[in-house]
Amino acid sequence: MSTAVDILFNSLVLGGVFLIVAIGLNIIYGLSRVMNLAHGSLYALGAYASVTLMSFGANFFVALIIAPFMVAFIGLVLERTIIAPVRKRSIVYTLILTYGLMFLLDGLIRYVWGNEPKFVKLPLFLQDTLPILGTHYPVYRLATLVIIAATMAGLMLFLGKTRTGITLRAASTIPEMVACLGINMKLVHIGAFVLGCGMAGIAGVVAGPLYSVDPTMGHEMLISSFVVIVIGGLGSLRGAVFAALLIGLVQTLAEFFITDLAMVIVYMLMAVILAFMPRGLLGEGRFE
Amino acid sequence: MVGKILALGIVVLCLAVFPFVVENRFYVSLINQMLIYGLLAMSLDVLLGYTGLLSFMHNAYLGTGAYMVGLFLLHVAPSSLWITLLVGVMGTIILALPVGWVQVRTGGLAFALLTLAFGMMFFTVAWKWYTVTGGDDGLMGVPHPDISLFGWVLGSTGDPVAIYLLTLVVVLLCFLLTWRIVNSPFGAILEAIRENEDRASFVGINVRRFKLMGWLLACGLAGVSGGLFILWRGYIGPTTMSAFAGAGVLMMVLLGGMGSLWGPFVGAGIFILMQDYISTMTEHWELFVGMVVILLVLFMPRGFAGIGDRLARLGRERQ
Amino acid sequence: MTIILETERLYRRFGGVLATNDVNIRFGEKRLKSIIGPNGAGKTTLVNVITGRLPASSGRILFRDKDITNRPAHSLIRLGICRTFQITSVFLGLTAFENIRISRQSRKGGSLRIFSSRDSLMQVSEDAWKILEDLELVDQASTLARNLAHGDQRLLEVGMALAGEPELLFLDEPTAGMSPAETEHIAQMIKKLSEEISVVLIEHDMDVVMSISDEITVLHQGRIIAEGPPAAIRGDEKVKEAYLGHE
Repeated sequence: MSTAVDILFNSLVLGGVFLIVAIGLNIIYGLSRVMNLAHGSLYALGAYASVTLMSFGANFFVALIIAPFMVAFIGLVLERTIIAPVRKRSIVYTLILTYGLMFLLDGLIRYVWGNEPKFVKLPLFLQDTLPILGTHYPVYRLATLVIIAATMAGLMLFLGKTRTGITLRAASTIPEMVACLGINMKLVHIGAFVLGCGMAGIAGVVAGPLYSVDPTMGHEMLISSFVVIVIGGLGSLRGAVFAALLIGLVQTLAEFFITDLAMVIVYMLMAVILAFMPRGLLGEGRFE
Repeated sequence: MVGKILALGIVVLCLAVFPFVVENRFYVSLINQMLIYGLLAMSLDVLLGYTGLLSFMHNAYLGTGAYMVGLFLLHVAPSSLWITLLVGVMGTIILALPVGWVQVRTGGLAFALLTLAFGMMFFTVAWKWYTVTGGDDGLMGVPHPDISLFGWVLGSTGDPVAIYLLTLVVVLLCFLLTWRIVNSPFGAILEAIRENEDRASFVGINVRRFKLMGWLLACGLAGVSGGLFILWRGYIGPTTMSAFAGAGVLMMVLLGGMGSLWGPFVGAGIFILMQDYISTMTEHWELFVGMVVILLVLFMPRGFAGIGDRLARLGRERQ
Repeated sequence: MTIILETERLYRRFGGVLATNDVNIRFGEKRLKSIIGPNGAGKTTLVNVITGRLPASSGRILFRDKDITNRPAHSLIRLGICRTFQITSVFLGLTAFENIRISRQSRKGGSLRIFSSRDSLMQVSEDAWKILEDLELVDQASTLARNLAHGDQRLLEVGMALAGEPELLFLDEPTAGMSPAETEHIAQMIKKLSEEISVVLIEHDMDVVMSISDEITVLHQGRIIAEGPPAAIRGDEKVKEAYLGHE
């Protein structure tokens, strides 16, 4: 019984991390038509940034606040220097560009931090376990759920209640109209990319203590987050939540039952959905 | 046109004479590798430059060709060359058919992601199916059949010069074949699809069917390159089928220039030279590849073929 | 009058919106029918459904009594149903000549020839030149479509549609963005075309519509509210209301 509860919570945690990453990807694509293949690498940068910050003495929570801003800043620089010039060209070029960016950032991570996995030291009170529903569950993981929920709530508030947020949402559905209203599309594009990177950064910091911080974490997260947006449907929030939780569950179960086939099945599912149900399982997305 | 034939003739002549002029077998092997990857890159160009479809892991089909030829040589017929190559190519096309059927239902972004999904599937199979593919270790000790034509033995594929010449001939034939095809009415259809898929439907083109045909052509050529690869190297492992290797092939096309059949050969040549020099100097080859891809997209999206075009145009304007 | 194409109780739904609402429309041979209506009336949607761009939600489309509902777009070209788009859609990276040539090739055949040169399809090339001549675009034959002036691009697109040997040609706002001279020129051309094939025009330019149409169908909120010759439509109260009501 306790294993089932563990699996359930682990799925929620993993799903939650996928969700934040996938939403970041969705925001960038929905608002600036750029499929950011470097998104996984930015997630990894978030984790590595938090490691470095903490090695300078910052505690976990400080790192949790600062690292995402650092990743967001990197996103700003990237957007202005290399993304913006290519966005107007055909989608093939933006894909190749962000693909190259992925290798650049991953290579950079290896260059700066080396190939060995890093460990994140958590504050003592987070290292404990809490008895819940018949099992002793790590406090940190519960804290993760809280952080993720808070991030989602913050994002919903931002998009729903602030003027900037509402403008961004409008820009994703009717970009031409937004441009007509005199809203600076350049700022929308920048904002989207920065916001998306920030989300990736948060996910990276949160995931650091959960899974290992190593140079391949970006690749793995990228593949998983693609599966999430394909299954959930590009541009659909409900779809992203549903798909993130689903993939979180599938991957947790796969790890538990130790099967190599798991990834192949996941890829096949993604391929089938992409080809036959481009609007995602819930039919709410819009892959063109 | 005459100029182009002349240029091709000169290049082929130089390449043919090369192993007899240069004594160092290392360089012969290097050019051999360039020809193989040039063929792979050209096949990707058929897909990308002519049909407008981006594939992130086209190297998967070099891999399937290589593995099939390798397995055939290891377990079925260690001494038959031509049949083996045929098996490799046909096998690759047969594998590529269902994949292509699924993929051509989409285009653009979705298509590219699908190539990633299927490419990763192939990679995972090559990596994990230990009993058949040798897993991490790959296929080793692949026999080197003789090159024989109508009963005359011209050499062994184990001999660097012989395999080099075989590669040169096969690649040349593939190049000429592809040139003919992309300049044919069929090739015109592929270009129309690249330019505007939507419009293509509305002038009566069955876009899915033609995309599939272009796809099979590209994968078939990649399968040929795979067969040549394993004959040259005697070994194939999963690394050749990885996503990073796939990025390398993409970079070759980008460097050389999309939409020109000879450009990818130039791109492959430069890439392999760079890889040789730089990956021995530093382990930060990944970083370097990423940077070059970005710089290419930003500043030289048409690759060297684009520069060639610009120079040619300048030359014409000067008159 | 022989009917080439007709729709039976055609519906097209987008979520909760009925963009095409119980449309029964008939297209006859060698006529020029204009479809007009205020913005959002569903004109383009109707054409999109008929030409295979969108699936019908329900209802039938009959081409010479053959059911062609929901057939893929490319197969409809074979039947002789061709169209142009509201936003010019041509092959920008190809020359004007090649744009027409490939359209002609697609219709006439030869696309599976992989071992011969493009020029070997001589009839196709000849037909393409003829179309370019008729459109007076011969001087731009080797210009890339993306470098053509807007008006020429739209003409080119008509040429591409004509290359399909249509019996029924749909033109979606062909005069959009054109100067008065260009508009006059293309209107005359369209009128002449309708002497040989059936032309359907979606237009906002009322002068053009009234002067060249044989008959007009008025759409409003997805359904037909009036049909008849220009004189009848000019005075129709329902039509006036539909337009004025939207200002």
